[in-house]
Amino acid sequence: MSYASSFYFTLPEVILSLSGLALLMVAAFAGKASARIVTILSVAALFGAGIFTAHLLSDPAFALGGDAFSGVYRMDAFGSYAKILIYLATIGILMVTQRYFDSTGEYRPEYPVLMIFGAVGMGMMVSAVDLMTLYLGLELSSLSSYVLASYARSDGRSAEAGLKYFVLGALASGILLYGMSLVYGFTGATDYLSILAAMSDGLSGGMLFGLVFVLAGLAFKISAVPFHMWTPDVYEGAPTPVTAFFATAPKVAAIALLMRVALDPFGAQVDAWRQIVIFSALASIVVGALGAIGQANLKRLLAYSSINNVGFILIGLAAGTQAGAGAMLVYLAFYVAMTLGSFVAVLMLRDGEGRQVETLADIAGLSRSHKGLALCLAVMMFSLAGIPPLMGFWGKFVVFRAAVDADLILLAAVGIAASVIGAFYYLKIVKVMYFDEPAGVVAGKGDAASWVVLALTTLFVSPLGFLLTIWLGNWTNRAAAALFFAA
Amino acid sequence: MVDLSQYLPILLFLFVALALSAAFVFLPMGVSRLTGTHNPDAEKLSEYECGFPAFEEPRSQFDVRFYLVAILFIIFDLEAAFLFPWAVSLDITGWAGWITMMVFLFELIVGFAYAWKVGALEWE
Amino acid sequence: MHPIHFIVFLPLLAAIVGGLTNKAAPAVFTKGLTTGALFVAAVLSWMVFLPFVAGTAEAQVVPVLQWVQSGTLSFDWALRVDTLTAVMLVVITTVSALVHLYSWGYMEEDPDQPRFFAYLSLFTFAMLMLVTADNLVQMFFGWEGVGLASYLLIGFWFKKPSANAAAIKAFVVNRVGDLGFMLGIFGTFLVFGTVDIPRILEMAPAMSGSDITFMGMRLYTMDILCILLFIGAMGKSAQLGLHTWLPDAMEGPTPVSALIHAATMVTAGVFMVCRLSPMFETAPVALGVVTFIGAATCIFAATVGTTQWDIKRVIAYSTCSQLGYMFFAAGVGAYGAAMFHLFTHAFFKALLFLGAGSVIHAMHHEQDMRYYGGLRKHIPLTFYAMLAGTLAITGLGVYHLGVGFAGFWSKDAIIEVAFARGTEVASFAFWMGVFAALLTSFYSWRLMFLTFWGKPRWIESEHIQHSVHKTPEQAGEDTTGGYHPHESPVSMLIPLGVLTVGAIAAGQVFAPAFLDSADFWDGSIFYNEPLIHAMHGVPVLVKYAAFIVMLLGFVIAWYGYIRNTAFPAKVAEQLGPVYRFLYNKWYFDELYDRIFVRPAFWIGRQLWQRGDVGIIDRFGPNGAAWVVERGVGVAKRVQSGYLTSYALIMLLGLVAAVTWILM
Repeated sequence: MSYASSFYFTLPEVILSLSGLALLMVAAFAGKASARIVTILSVAALFGAGIFTAHLLSDPAFALGGDAFSGVYRMDAFGSYAKILIYLATIGILMVTQRYFDSTGEYRPEYPVLMIFGAVGMGMMVSAVDLMTLYLGLELSSLSSYVLASYARSDGRSAEAGLKYFVLGALASGILLYGMSLVYGFTGATDYLSILAAMSDGLSGGMLFGLVFVLAGLAFKISAVPFHMWTPDVYEGAPTPVTAFFATAPKVAAIALLMRVALDPFGAQVDAWRQIVIFSALASIVVGALGAIGQANLKRLLAYSSINNVGFILIGLAAGTQAGAGAMLVYLAFYVAMTLGSFVAVLMLRDGEGRQVETLADIAGLSRSHKGLALCLAVMMFSLAGIPPLMGFWGKFVVFRAAVDADLILLAAVGIAASVIGAFYYLKIVKVMYFDEPAGVVAGKGDAASWVVLALTTLFVSPLGFLLTIWLGNWTNRAAAALFFAA
Repeated sequence: MVDLSQYLPILLFLFVALALSAAFVFLPMGVSRLTGTHNPDAEKLSEYECGFPAFEEPRSQFDVRFYLVAILFIIFDLEAAFLFPWAVSLDITGWAGWITMMVFLFELIVGFAYAWKVGALEWE
Repeated sequence: MHPIHFIVFLPLLAAIVGGLTNKAAPAVFTKGLTTGALFVAAVLSWMVFLPFVAGTAEAQVVPVLQWVQSGTLSFDWALRVDTLTAVMLVVITTVSALVHLYSWGYMEEDPDQPRFFAYLSLFTFAMLMLVTADNLVQMFFGWEGVGLASYLLIGFWFKKPSANAAAIKAFVVNRVGDLGFMLGIFGTFLVFGTVDIPRILEMAPAMSGSDITFMGMRLYTMDILCILLFIGAMGKSAQLGLHTWLPDAMEGPTPVSALIHAATMVTAGVFMVCRLSPMFETAPVALGVVTFIGAATCIFAATVGTTQWDIKRVIAYSTCSQLGYMFFAAGVGAYGAAMFHLFTHAFFKALLFLGAGSVIHAMHHEQDMRYYGGLRKHIPLTFYAMLAGTLAITGLGVYHLGVGFAGFWSKDAIIEVAFARGTEVASFAFWMGVFAALLTSFYSWRLMFLTFWGKPRWIESEHIQHSVHKTPEQAGEDTTGGYHPHESPVSMLIPLGVLTVGAIAAGQVFAPAFLDSADFWDGSIFYNEPLIHAMHGVPVLVKYAAFIVMLLGFVIAWYGYIRNTAFPAKVAEQLGPVYRFLYNKWYFDELYDRIFVRPAFWIGRQLWQRGDVGIIDRFGPNGAAWVVERGVGVAKRVQSGYLTSYALIMLLGLVAAVTWILM
């Protein structure tokens, strides 16, 4: 537990932090013209951090992970897996962003820098094994997010989105902090192991309050019902690449964080929070599905879709088992690919003057004019709807199997039934694209970078993704095992 | 979990109080509505005796630069607030403490440089 | 490779290739392919069959592949070739090949010829599957296959509503029979633990007399099984009760009627009973049922046939009646006679149908015999063919000379054997058989006289009117309307010629083998040697009974339709109720409509409107959709866009969670 090993384990964050600071200076002194080079360097930094994380994940010497900085940070397979997802999602979004701001000319080098700082915060979230580190990471990523949400300053909706996100995020942070202080007050510790030890003897009322408040604060971050209200408004208002970012990387981080908190420090008291998680899971599935049905705006629809998906992921958490955790991680991987792909496809919808198109009516008959794009989007939708042989089905399947194995058969049954509602609006998009009269709004071709991201994500969720399931299964098993090893 | 049965009398009292106060408020209203005449006009509904209509919107806009300066102030204020306990405990925290604070200050300086360069400190 | 492989799979191959190319290739490709395949199969069939007649062939089972291995249920796909199968092979492939050839001419102007020929070949394959079956499941496969092909071919002109209705009727009525057949197969498997036919037949005698209790009744196992199987046979062979689809099936093209609804498919039931004859022999009650139903069908169909005007319907009822003969022959234990009649009937009935088709072809698709007349001189070749067919079906032949047409040998044998059997139900069958022979002679000659003799009455026909563009008034005295019937093309005449030979000679040549030779059958059917001896020993009067009534029928027909043409109408008028009863086919369709069709519709409507729409849809999909719609409304309203309400909901959620967990 020397400083050397501590820095070695936190090297992904260190790399990103230093890159972020350096790029900030570049942004400040080189100005707007440096946007492109800063973006490329950011991608390179994320890539480097990702490579190093992969090294930590695959090196047998670190198979058991290790603590850093006196046990406030833990490097293990779980954190590394989540980080790789986060970095990949961030890279994907950075690749497709610049094109979006072409028409307004608002793209500045601060954008990738904010993303990098967000990624640092998320890395800390997933690796934190102390409430203080947790909060630090959470706030770092949240602050980046608030700024990113209102990034399109000239757009009233974007400013509104940023403000709403900030105010409600502050409220959620307050709830979380209050819960943490209660936990600290009643257990006398902020590190997970001590909290676990304190809670193993039974819960006092104060601990219980603290537990509920902490979980509620985290539920806001993953936009689980009833803490989801900000999601549709923020997703719709924020610039589309930022929305895509919100729906992928921070969500992975928050879910991973929730998993670690729920299963490590609170792991001894699964029965205490299981009911709440079950309720939240089912409510998220139903509300997400119901909300999405009424939407004409694709971004808002995808926002509800992400709420819906969070519900399915929480089913894995409700199982409270290692299999459940593994299932959640599998689901997360497919969720990131599907969401990223869907948003990239939406990003590629532009009218003749290069303006963004984002309503359902605009993509009517898209298959006639843009075969490839329509096909990719259709694959995403079928996958999100959970239709085999696409990988979205596989994700749902493992989650439900984990729930069934944990004797939550009713939960699984209700979840499956509710997923039928969700299928409606996903299929509606396909129907509109393929069978409606062409609206003829969408014009032009996407740029190469977008096509690369879209093609890769499409291939990943297509049946070809089965070729990767061996590695994926291996990693998720190790990651889930790491989670329970620490406990 | 918590034994709430002790609070039952208070709950009952609460109900009784609610019922009684509701009766005292709504009963006269109902009686007067049923017995008296009721034809409101603009004069009757306007403010009288204790006030007058507002001259303008009570919410007025501040210049956003005030906020900017305030935020920057808070950051460096906090920096100062951190520096005092650090300074008095430096003999305990040693080189590790010193380096940590230097890193913190470095980051703040980078941020300060950025704010300066993009013109956040200029009023005009 | 055994020739049977080619016989069975050539038609299938032709059907697949011809059917899939459909209109991609010229029609002549599919026509040539299927017809060629069938002629090869026919030649091979005769090569398989003749050694059996000569007594040099051995029964064998030719394996194709393993089929089902599931628990105790296991059977292979194998082709059984024995005397019984060989007989059927010859009948099926010969008639089918001739019908294929005939269709070249008959279907000349149809735009969908490839489809037609592919269906015909597909049917042939399915029928061959049926007759080569070594186990009940394979037989059932063929059974359903011919049902399907029959359905497709009856509804071949699918733009005609009546053809569609007839096709559906045939399918539905056969379903009733098939249910019986299936239950029979299930029951057989239950009792014997196998579906392998030879093993069932081996074990059957031991089961004789065993009984089971069903719903408080003690029933003989074998009787139950055999009656269930016979119900299947009744459906396929249009026996009384399940016969209603056969006359309607005449909506199909005439070659189809000749092949499927006269010579082959409808005889599948007879074949099945003969194939399982050792099993039926252990079930005396079932045999009684078979005899009774056969005899009743025989007389029923004959009576109806006397009153019909549509030339194809007359022949259809005649077929139904002849099938009755076959069944009661089987019922009294003379399976050889039943098979013999099946054999000869295939030739002369196919001949009659194809002849009728030739007449219809010549008369511009007019099928009503009232508008025929005097065609003898215009289409002489068709006339001679039909004459041979009529002589065959009426059974012209003299016992003491030992010569006769095909029907004489087979039908008279059946009547004699029914007499010889001597049981009550057999006697009933005998009398019905004799009476039906009278009627057969009458309606057959009635058909001939109406069609070929007398004066032309063509101009009354709408088809002819369309052809010559004249109304009867314009035509005046000339009742031909100036229409000139033409003899059919060679492709139609060749099959007629070949079948004529069969109708004349099939009985004479094969009677010794089929009727008197236990060696010929070689155990492929149950052969009752004493019964055949008794048959030959019946009184001379019995031997001449069929001949006498045949002459009687001829004379009545001659009197009514040549000598005194007003006579039939007068009789019909005087016997009004009887005539209408017969003319309306004993009101079977109306009766079924009341008993089955309308209640079934009623139940269906109830289940649909009350059950499906009222309950399942209302509380299922529609109800769920309604709930979802409402939910969408609620979700939209809650999502107001106000920050305060969002914060409120968050806090309410928090409070609810805390409350829940504290409770």
